[in-house]
Amino acid sequence: MATKVAAHYISEKVSKVRWLPEKLQQSDRFVTGSWDMDTNFVRVWRLHSNPYAENVDHTPRCNDKVAMENDVTGLEFVNNDTLAVSCADGHISILNVQRAVEEDQIERTARSERLHEFKCSKTSAPCTAIAVYGTDVATVGEDGCVNVLNASNLKQVKRTITADSMSLLAVNYVGQHQLVTANRMGVIRMFDTRSGGEGQPKIAFMAACQDAKSSNYVSSMATHPMQQHILICGSEEGSITVWDLRNLEYPASYLSAHNSPITDIGFHRQDPSKLFTAAEAGEVWMWSEKKTHIDPSQQDGKSAWLSGDRVRALVNVDGVLTNIRKAVNSFDVHGTRLVCGSDTEAVYIVDDIL
Amino acid sequence: MNDDIVPQFELGDVLAMRCGNTLTASFVPGSSKIAMSAYRPVKWSSRDAPTDTAGEDPVLIYMAEETTLYTEPLLRSLLAETNATFETLQTLGQAPNGVLKTQEYMKISRTYRSIIRCCLEKLKHAKKMPEVQENELKEQRYTEAIMTFYAIECLWHLFEILYMQQQHNQMIVPQLLEWTRFHYPHTEDQATDLLLMAEEASECDSYWDTLKNLIMLGQLDVTRAILSQHRKSNQAAFQAAEAILKSMPVYQDGYALQKFCSQWEYWQVDLERKLASQVFAAEPELEVLMHLVKGNNESWDKELLKSQDWYEYLPGYLLYTRPTCKPFELRIAVTNWLNRWSQLRPNWQMTQLSRMVMQLMEHDVKLFIYDAQKLNDSHWFATHLIDLIYHTGHLKSYFEQQTIDLAALRHSMIFEYGSYLMTSHNLWQLGIDYLDCCKHEGTAAIELLLPRIPLRNERQAFKILALAKRRGLINVEQDICKVLSKRAYNDQRYGSALEWATRSKDVLLVTAIADFILKHYSRTGIMLCQDVITSIGARMFISPRLVFLSKYYEFYEFYRQRDFLSGAELLINLLASKITPDYFWPSLLIDALPLLESEDPKIFSKETIAILQHLEMELVPLIERNKLNTAKFNNQTSKTVFKDYRVENVEEILDLMRLACARNLARALIIENTAPTS
Repeated sequence: MATKVAAHYISEKVSKVRWLPEKLQQSDRFVTGSWDMDTNFVRVWRLHSNPYAENVDHTPRCNDKVAMENDVTGLEFVNNDTLAVSCADGHISILNVQRAVEEDQIERTARSERLHEFKCSKTSAPCTAIAVYGTDVATVGEDGCVNVLNASNLKQVKRTITADSMSLLAVNYVGQHQLVTANRMGVIRMFDTRSGGEGQPKIAFMAACQDAKSSNYVSSMATHPMQQHILICGSEEGSITVWDLRNLEYPASYLSAHNSPITDIGFHRQDPSKLFTAAEAGEVWMWSEKKTHIDPSQQDGKSAWLSGDRVRALVNVDGVLTNIRKAVNSFDVHGTRLVCGSDTEAVYIVDDIL
Repeated sequence: MNDDIVPQFELGDVLAMRCGNTLTASFVPGSSKIAMSAYRPVKWSSRDAPTDTAGEDPVLIYMAEETTLYTEPLLRSLLAETNATFETLQTLGQAPNGVLKTQEYMKISRTYRSIIRCCLEKLKHAKKMPEVQENELKEQRYTEAIMTFYAIECLWHLFEILYMQQQHNQMIVPQLLEWTRFHYPHTEDQATDLLLMAEEASECDSYWDTLKNLIMLGQLDVTRAILSQHRKSNQAAFQAAEAILKSMPVYQDGYALQKFCSQWEYWQVDLERKLASQVFAAEPELEVLMHLVKGNNESWDKELLKSQDWYEYLPGYLLYTRPTCKPFELRIAVTNWLNRWSQLRPNWQMTQLSRMVMQLMEHDVKLFIYDAQKLNDSHWFATHLIDLIYHTGHLKSYFEQQTIDLAALRHSMIFEYGSYLMTSHNLWQLGIDYLDCCKHEGTAAIELLLPRIPLRNERQAFKILALAKRRGLINVEQDICKVLSKRAYNDQRYGSALEWATRSKDVLLVTAIADFILKHYSRTGIMLCQDVITSIGARMFISPRLVFLSKYYEFYEFYRQRDFLSGAELLINLLASKITPDYFWPSLLIDALPLLESEDPKIFSKETIAILQHLEMELVPLIERNKLNTAKFNNQTSKTVFKDYRVENVEEILDLMRLACARNLARALIIENTAPTS
């Protein structure tokens, strides 16, 4: 692959990174959230063309920043310039990014009450992940609760579901009102945000694991952008489990992938034939469906991801980033560019990814 | 860079002042802090009694910590980036030897320097920011950081020139000129100004001074360019000077040295003759320049008085006097030069930087390394440089002569630096890589330091666990899981506690938590964290108690779903399994009671006999033992074994059970024996 990778050291351990949404053009702004620093920031960066070095086209420059109270654990855009940020102090915030010709600006417009807390000690529980559907924002935390809020009104929590008796690590929308959460044991549960308490469907399934005696958390989940019933989970042992949400009796596919915990997983937004995975040992892989292998019998919309043991034959794996040696915590792809945030205190920008 | 000043501490609080301002201190384990408090000197002869003023003043404990530059976020990127380069060097070191390796090492050295330069640039930029300008403390920190890292870059560059290239006929003068050019950019800036002013430059006050400096820095091309712009550049004197400067022989690689030397001598003689024949007499300033080019000692001495540091003009002087100087000849040249310098400026004090430059040029690497460790950079420079020296192997024979074990020195430097990073707040991810290079000691240090990183949330805990797992440090993994389990338990998050306990694979801990859940159930009838028990799966085999809990929960579920037949079967299995904890026997048997007494029979005769057998063989002896214990410690109640309300009337329960069994047995026998056999 003729990709160009450029590393930019930014003096912060990066926990989350997202491109600013752009409809018609390649985005050249992104936001990062940091963790484990004295003060953690959400920063907005902008790519500037680099006149000096030959093999680095762009260098990012920090335009503005907002200090957060604790580690940033989730960053998602609600709309073009509104950003929901979850924080390890159990709160979420809404930030607003203003694009400008010279210096972009970012400011906090709202902060929620404490959404997650440990009942007994009354201390705040870290909010571990965040998911967005329309203007709805769902958060999960180490207290095992799911909270659903509206981004325009953080003061009022629309729904609180006591989902689990241990910490939840990932959350994802699979429909307007359906949520999936994953806990530290790898148990994935499905909830309906419309009903509270007793009315919840009791749907639970477990990520596959090579060694049944060891724990295997699910760290990250993604749904196929076109076929929402395909749920892909990345786990602690580095494997990928694919579920067909229409048939939950057994996982549709299981692939052993990385040698270390998967930290982030996601489809390319515009090209759903590409899936990306990032791992703790410092790797980012791209999985692309082989176009030639789709035979007429498969034209009924059955995805390669659901084909069980044959997935390996239908999907190509390429290393986008390897040998970083420290965890890649998050990535985001927009158009032909991929940006990764890592514990090496650097962001990596990969051009011409497709 | 104030060297040799040992920092002093005093407490000066009331208590300390009372006993002569003396103090005592000790290292705080697991961190780089020192705890200090007032201390009264005690001798063997002093009386062991409270002083008159005891208890009047509070005892204050001060925590002191070594200041470090790396609290500044900008410098973190230096640490992170060099960490990556360090790792590249380690992998390179393991690769098979090849011709290209020397070049690769050179590249690494340059990478290190470019990291420093990049960082210096960022620092300089940040220092000009208004928020730094307003904050005096911060500005001072920036200045200090810039000074330290500037010095490091300067020294590293010089080291690279003198020791990284291993070619014996290596000419070092051009490179040394390059080095001074970079570190004294002031003159070059002035020269640029003069060039931009074109003809008007010659009226400028600093015109000739700048030219002299340029000559002394050996920048002939720029000098020529400026001279050619002079108003009188058409005159004979200027033309002659141009010819001299232009014709100065410059040694090029692959050129025969002998031939070069004769050319050089010819050029020298020519210049001397022109000076003697007063070619430049019309232009006295130009004549001074030519004298400098000639290497005339008087002229140089005069100009030297203006220079900033001893080494500033040394490469320039070498260019005009010994252009073919080799690294090993440099030492003599430097000694002579320094003698001359100290005679000219007897009161001049050497700074640490200039002393270290001297050590490098005089080939005194041992002292250089010693001094490098005194820099205020937490040994960043010394560690990385020694590591590089070790890998290149260029100075191997030197260290052998000096009887220094280079491998051991490198090892200890890396170990110290790694431990320092591991113990300082949020640099642990960088530190662990350095400790990884330190074989057994490194692993031991990681094993000690990794569990000491404060766990702020699970996400961080998982990162530490992954690091431990990759290194096979099972103890560390278990310790961290146990801590988190205890933490969750104390916070009454039992599901979480149970899961962490199963991760820790600690049988006792898992048993204790399973015990708690069972006891809680037998006391209140509420089953805790059902979701966890359901999905525990094969992980239950860590502890027999957890197996029991898990199986009992299965029975509990059957019972709730009114699937009595499966329930009864499981119950019998549980009774026979021999993993039932003592305290749970009453609960378990009482659970059997409704099944025995239900309207339609659910338990077969054989099973009923089994229940009866367990009743007599397990529970009755248990009660007897319990009674015995109670009798022994007669002031205690029988709560030692059964901690629930059922204990008081255990005899009654026993009778009820026997009765129920008998009744069910009778019923079951009749049904079983009258049922039509197929």
